[in-house]
Amino acid sequence: MRQFRSMVYPYVVWIAIMIVVPMLMILLYAFTGEGNDVTTFRFTLENFGRFFSDAVFLDVLKRSLIIAIFTTIICVLLGYPIAYAIATGPEKSKMFWILMITLPTWINMLVRTYAWVGILQDDGLLNSFLGLFGIGPFKMMYTTFAVVLGMVYNFIPFMILQIHTSLAKMDKSLLEAASDLGANRMQCFLRVTLPLSLPGVLSGITLVFLPAVSSFFIPKLLGGGQYVLIGNVIETQFLTSGDWNFGSAISLIMAVIIMISMYLTRKVDTDPAANGRGE
Amino acid sequence: MKKLIAMALASVMLLAGCGGGSSEGASAEDAVAKYGSDTLKLYNWGEYMGEDLISNFEKEFGVKVIVEYFDSNETMYTKLQAGDSYDVLVPSDYMIERLINEGMLQELDLSLIPNISNLAEGVKNLPYDPENTYSVPYFWGSVGIVYNHNNVDPAVVEEQGYSILHNTDYKGKIYVYDSERDSFMMAFKALGYSMNTDNQDEIQEAYQWLLDMNNTMEPVYVTDEVIDGMINGTKDIAVVYSGDATTILEENPDMSFWMPTEGTNLWSDAMVIPANAENPKLAHEFINYVLTYEASLGNSEYVGYASSNQEVLDELSGEGGLFADNEAYLPRAGYEKDEVFVDNQVLKKELAELWIKVKATK
Repeated sequence: MRQFRSMVYPYVVWIAIMIVVPMLMILLYAFTGEGNDVTTFRFTLENFGRFFSDAVFLDVLKRSLIIAIFTTIICVLLGYPIAYAIATGPEKSKMFWILMITLPTWINMLVRTYAWVGILQDDGLLNSFLGLFGIGPFKMMYTTFAVVLGMVYNFIPFMILQIHTSLAKMDKSLLEAASDLGANRMQCFLRVTLPLSLPGVLSGITLVFLPAVSSFFIPKLLGGGQYVLIGNVIETQFLTSGDWNFGSAISLIMAVIIMISMYLTRKVDTDPAANGRGE
Repeated sequence: MKKLIAMALASVMLLAGCGGGSSEGASAEDAVAKYGSDTLKLYNWGEYMGEDLISNFEKEFGVKVIVEYFDSNETMYTKLQAGDSYDVLVPSDYMIERLINEGMLQELDLSLIPNISNLAEGVKNLPYDPENTYSVPYFWGSVGIVYNHNNVDPAVVEEQGYSILHNTDYKGKIYVYDSERDSFMMAFKALGYSMNTDNQDEIQEAYQWLLDMNNTMEPVYVTDEVIDGMINGTKDIAVVYSGDATTILEENPDMSFWMPTEGTNLWSDAMVIPANAENPKLAHEFINYVLTYEASLGNSEYVGYASSNQEVLDELSGEGGLFADNEAYLPRAGYEKDEVFVDNQVLKKELAELWIKVKATK
C-alpha cells in the first residue's frame, strides 16, 4: 500500500484550497474590523460583542435553534418507522423505496421549495383540494408550519437513509438469539434493534440539524421576509449590507455551536453506557 | 414559480437561438469584423425585457447575446466585484453612483448612441450621472401604494398616505416591500424627512416607525411575490414599485394606485458598460438598440415599467394607449418631495442592520 501514499497529495491540496483557506478567511474576517486592505488589519472582538449584546440577534439565534431541533425531532419520528419498514420489508421492493426517497434530491432544493409555495398558498393546490370538501381555506404560507414542513421535506431523506443503512447491516441472527432467549417482539426491538440503529439515528440527526439550523432560503420562501432565522441574518450581512466581518463572526458563532453539538452527539455514540451496547 | 419557469424557458430559447444562426440581417462574420466579437454578455434584472428584444437584436446584428439575471443591485455588485465580466449591466441609480465612484464603469462614447436623443424628459440629467457620461436610462418609475378599492376607501388612502400602514383597521392585510431602502424610504417620508437623511435622530425615529408597524400590523414582507399576491387579491394594501403596480392594475380591476403626497422614491435603472467589458463596441450598439422606438415599445408593453423613450411613453400613456387608463404607469415627474437615492455606504449598512432587526422582532 505504501507506494500509493503519494496519490493522497492532490487530495490534500484540494482540501487546503477548498476548505482550509475559506475557513481561514472567515476567521480573519470575523476577528477584524471593516476597511481592511491587504496590508493593514485591525483585529477586534467587536463583531462578536455586537452579536451577543443585541437581544434581537440572540432571539433570532434561539428561534433558529428551536426550529432546527423541532425539525430534527420530527425527522426522527417520521424517518425511523419509514426506514424500519424499508429495512425489514421484502428484499425486492427495497431498491424501489430507496429510489423513491432519493429521487427528489436529484432536483434542485430551491425548485422543490418553490413547488411548496404553489401547494401551500391561499389559493394553492392544497386549499383548492380541501375546498372541494368545503373545508378551509387555511392560511399556511408564511407560518412556522410552512417553514418546518419545508425543512422536514428537504432534509428527511438524509435521516431515512442513515437509519436504513445501520438497520440493513444489522445481524439478523441477533434477533433470533434474543427470541430464543425469551424476548418478545417489543423487547427484541428495544434491546437489540434500537441500540444497534442508534449510530444511524445520530448521524441522521447531525445531517438534518446542520442544514436546518443554517438554512436561509426555506424560511425566506415559505416564511416570508418577516421570518428571520440566523441564516437570513448572515445572508443579509454578505449580500445586502456588505458587512463581511459581522457576517463572518455570526458564521463562526454558528460553526462553534454546531461543533459543540456534534461533539455531544459523538459522545453519546461512543459512550457504551449510554447506548446500552455494553461491549 | 412562474418566474423560474420563465427563466428556464428563456435560457432554453437562448441556447436554441445560438444554434440556429441568423438567416436574415447581418451574419456572425460581419459582426466579428465590425465589433471584434459576436457575443454580448448582458446582466439584467429578471423579467425586465420584452419577449423579442434579444432575438430581434441577435437577428439584426448577427450576434449572440448571453443573458444572466440578478435580483438585487447588491447581488450584481458582489458578482462584478468578484471579477465577472459583462458587457452591459442595468443597475439602479444609487448603485450606478457607487460604480462610478469606484471606477468600475467606462465612459460611454455618445457618438455611438445617436438614439440618446429619444430619452424621455423625466430621465434626462439625473443627479447620479447628470451628463449621461456613464449611463443611459432603461426604465424609471416611483414607489406607491396599491390598494383594493372594494375594501379600502380611496379617501382614507389619499388622506393617510404611508401612515395607512399604521392603521390597525387593515391589520394582517398589508404587504411591505422587503428591502431596507424602500421600507426606510416610506418611514422617512411618512415622518416628513428626506429619504437620504443621515441624521441619527431621524433614523432612530424611522426605525421606531417601522418597529411599530411590524409589531401592530402583522405585515408580510415580500419582494416579487407581491405581484402575484395582489393580482390574486390576497392582501388589501401593498407598497409597490410603479411598474409592478401597472401589471397588478392590468390584471386585477379591483386594485387602485396612489402616489403618496408625502413624496416617494423617483428611481431609474440605466444601462452601463463596466470597465472590464470584453466587447464595449457591441455594448454601445445594444444600448443604442434598446433606445429605438420598436425595442422600447416592446420592452415597456411587456414589462409595464415606464419607458425611457419619450415617444413610447407618450404613446402608451396617451389617449387610446395600452396603459392610458392605468394610473400607475406614468411616473410623477417634477414633484418637489420626490427624491432620488444617493449612494451612502455607511447609511445603507446601518439601515440594513436596522431593517433585519425590525423583521426579526416578534
